[in-house]
Amino acid sequence: MLIRLVGGDVIDPVNGTSGRRDLWIRDGVIVEAPEGGAADETHDVSGCIVMAGAIDIHSHIGGGNVNTARLLLPEQHAAHQPRPANTPLSSAGWSTYQTGCLYAQMGFTTVVEPAMAPSTALHTHLELADIPIIDKATLAILGNDDFTLSLLRDEKSTAMLDDYVAWIVASSRALGVKVINAGAAAAFKDNVRSFSFDDVVPEYGLTSRSIVKALQASVTRLGIPHPLHVHCNNLGIAGSADTAAATIAATEGTPLHLAHLQFYGYGTEGKRKFSSEAARLAELVNGNPDVTIDIGQVMFGQTVTISSDVMRQFSALGNANPKKSVIIDGDGNSGGGIVPYRYKHDYYGSLQWAVGLELFLLITDPWRVFFTTDHPNGAPFTAYPELFELLMSAEARDAKATELNAGALELTTLASVRREYTFEEIAIMTRAAPAKLLGLKDRGHLAAGAIADIAVYRRGKDIAKMFREAALVFKNGEVVVKNGKVTKYRWGKALRLNPPADKAMVKRMRDYHDERYGLSLEWFTFADTAIAREEPFAEVSCKS
Amino acid sequence: MRNMSVAWIGSQPVSLMDAIQNVAKLLVSSRCPVFTIDADVHGTRSAIALAERVGGAFDHIHGDTLAREVALFADQGAMITTPGETRRRSSLVVLVGDIPVAHHELLLHLAGSNPDLGDRNKRVWFHVEGALEPPSDAGRLHRKLRPVAIGGEGLGLSGVLAALRADLLGRNQTGSLANVDRLKSALGKSRFPVFVFSGAMNSPDLAMLQGLVADLNKQGRASSLFLPTDDDAWGTALTSLWMTGFPPRTGFSDSLPSYDPVRWDTQRMVRDKEADLHVWVSARGTMPPKGRIGLVSLSRTEKRTEGAAVTISVGRAGVDHDGVAFSSRIGTFHSLTASAPSELPSIASVLQQLALVFPGRMGLPC
Repeated sequence: MLIRLVGGDVIDPVNGTSGRRDLWIRDGVIVEAPEGGAADETHDVSGCIVMAGAIDIHSHIGGGNVNTARLLLPEQHAAHQPRPANTPLSSAGWSTYQTGCLYAQMGFTTVVEPAMAPSTALHTHLELADIPIIDKATLAILGNDDFTLSLLRDEKSTAMLDDYVAWIVASSRALGVKVINAGAAAAFKDNVRSFSFDDVVPEYGLTSRSIVKALQASVTRLGIPHPLHVHCNNLGIAGSADTAAATIAATEGTPLHLAHLQFYGYGTEGKRKFSSEAARLAELVNGNPDVTIDIGQVMFGQTVTISSDVMRQFSALGNANPKKSVIIDGDGNSGGGIVPYRYKHDYYGSLQWAVGLELFLLITDPWRVFFTTDHPNGAPFTAYPELFELLMSAEARDAKATELNAGALELTTLASVRREYTFEEIAIMTRAAPAKLLGLKDRGHLAAGAIADIAVYRRGKDIAKMFREAALVFKNGEVVVKNGKVTKYRWGKALRLNPPADKAMVKRMRDYHDERYGLSLEWFTFADTAIAREEPFAEVSCKS
Repeated sequence: MRNMSVAWIGSQPVSLMDAIQNVAKLLVSSRCPVFTIDADVHGTRSAIALAERVGGAFDHIHGDTLAREVALFADQGAMITTPGETRRRSSLVVLVGDIPVAHHELLLHLAGSNPDLGDRNKRVWFHVEGALEPPSDAGRLHRKLRPVAIGGEGLGLSGVLAALRADLLGRNQTGSLANVDRLKSALGKSRFPVFVFSGAMNSPDLAMLQGLVADLNKQGRASSLFLPTDDDAWGTALTSLWMTGFPPRTGFSDSLPSYDPVRWDTQRMVRDKEADLHVWVSARGTMPPKGRIGLVSLSRTEKRTEGAAVTISVGRAGVDHDGVAFSSRIGTFHSLTASAPSELPSIASVLQQLALVFPGRMGLPC
């Protein structure tokens, strides 16, 4: 099957070939224009923007904590309506099926669930396998588990740590490694209530910094393409910018990715002791090429916060709206907290909204800043179209600002920043850069050889509408969305690394589970066939 | 079961495909089909997908108990931990109310170990009991664990929990609980006490227990270990949640899922004849309740199900074929390997074939 897309404005920053040209697809892959070739299927996309399928690097779309949030919030009172407005998650894609469809409708074709506890990997992959259309991937959480912390406390060799990280990544079928408030979940079980970068985990005598540094180095040595994905300490509190600044300074020549930086963009100035430090953080990011960040933009309305940062979530219980929550002291890295929350147009919500936009607009390199709302923590991913509009239109930001708390906005630089993202920058931030960051060479661009994940948007003055309803979306060369509606169900794969397992480490893990849990390792591992889908995984190479 | 019949129309043995085609006809002509499910994850996924396809509703065989357990989380949430963390970190385990026999092995297993994290004290056991509770099948468990009983004369579990909570908060109250000072002393020494409970408790008791745990977390740490009354039912709940956004007792009458624990109680719908076709799916071979509407039985059985228009004998995950199920031993899903592989078809495979003989012949999404 030879498919031709005719007359579109192709935005392809990786290959420097942006401009009006045709695209050709054969057998799910983009190909050069065949000489004299006649397409079996032709799509007239004149007047449309054509980009590679978008990639979301940080969106909580599946796994134990996400499912617990569903359990917490069925909102039984609304039982006779499918999902009415103004109840928690009314705008979120809340089942796996909705998630895949809603992402595809916006032109997203790959999404990363960034917080998979290795001990519940099977659950996570079962959910991801039921998300249709798109490809998925996960990051395995480390840094609060007894095995990692014991290795570091006992000053075991870096080779042993590497073997363990490799085993975790391979057995949990992850695409990378994430550390969440390193050491804090372990410390919380010892009744520690606040935890900063240089605080010590009681049981192990390790600082959070030392855990992050050890895992950062291990990920780099193993050739895992995605740098260590760091959820810093002190999320969401006034003064958290100092923590983020300290973490940025700790890169020391080795790559590091900081997740949802917006939630660390807060200082202690002003009458409410809650101010924007976005400009300072943006400057630090601009000056440190080792750092990449995603934003975690706050939008307004009802959502639910889902995080494995159990200490932080416990401290936020008082803000739960509605007043119910789940706190889980899990095995090692599998805990977390689910706390529903409504972002209001008040001082705090307004400031958070502005901090995120400041970071987007003041960080100059679109290759190092990534488009996320930390779904659903800052907002459901369904708010992305409105966020694209805010980034591409200073006028839209000004209009929204009139609805918000003026006192909060005065403490930010937002009004003075007139930058507007171009389509080229959007394509970098949501396609090219995520593919590069995750080591996915087959996507994020439109050169011959790339998989035919393509999003076609009909140009219009209404930017949000344009990004909400893609005119056409191709996944692996198949049309899956037409005019903003899903037209074809298919099943994507979970992208994973598969570093070879060290036999001594496998034996060590067997002994560890036997001794510490009284259970064989088989309780915690699984074969691909357990997912019950044909070829549920696709392998991505580590760096050589 | 090799060479035995696996399918019947009425009382007549038929081929599996004939039975499947007959079920398809019944479903196509049904105005309101309901599915009552008892299956592993993959059987559940297929049953829910089929319910969606035919605009039906679904529930678990243990729907009443499951609805109560779901309500605990949906109404107020909880602070919980895992069996693994309890084993490794908790030197004080407090059983609350009756714990189903299915979980006694886990508790006995816990009793054979001591924490290697946290305070590392020798593990001690308490049991918060109500005098009005029905006798439990906990004799062996008590002999092994030797828990210190916390109770009060004439108080049911609700009363004991309320009195205990008040006592721990230092509030005045009439009467006293047996051994409460010993529990206070143990709480003072333990850095991570865990209260073990099951969904067999009633909702107010569950709420009181979670309030007590929340109180303890104001100054120190404590958590609770939730042991579902039925692991397979909890697995079905989790599967339903990711597939539909809702727990069981969800219906698709408007094509989109809607959750209502009263309206979509499938066994009530069968009793009240709100449904006109009951699809009973039981990998454990549980017999369906008698009803006055059409019945299709997919059950692990060697003979036809009495009263069923169609019976199809199906295998059980972990016995006849591989599968995935929830286990309270680890607090999450684990894969199952067939212990006695047989030719009995899996629930998922039967339902997939069923979808393919429907008008449109579209396979199920799972």
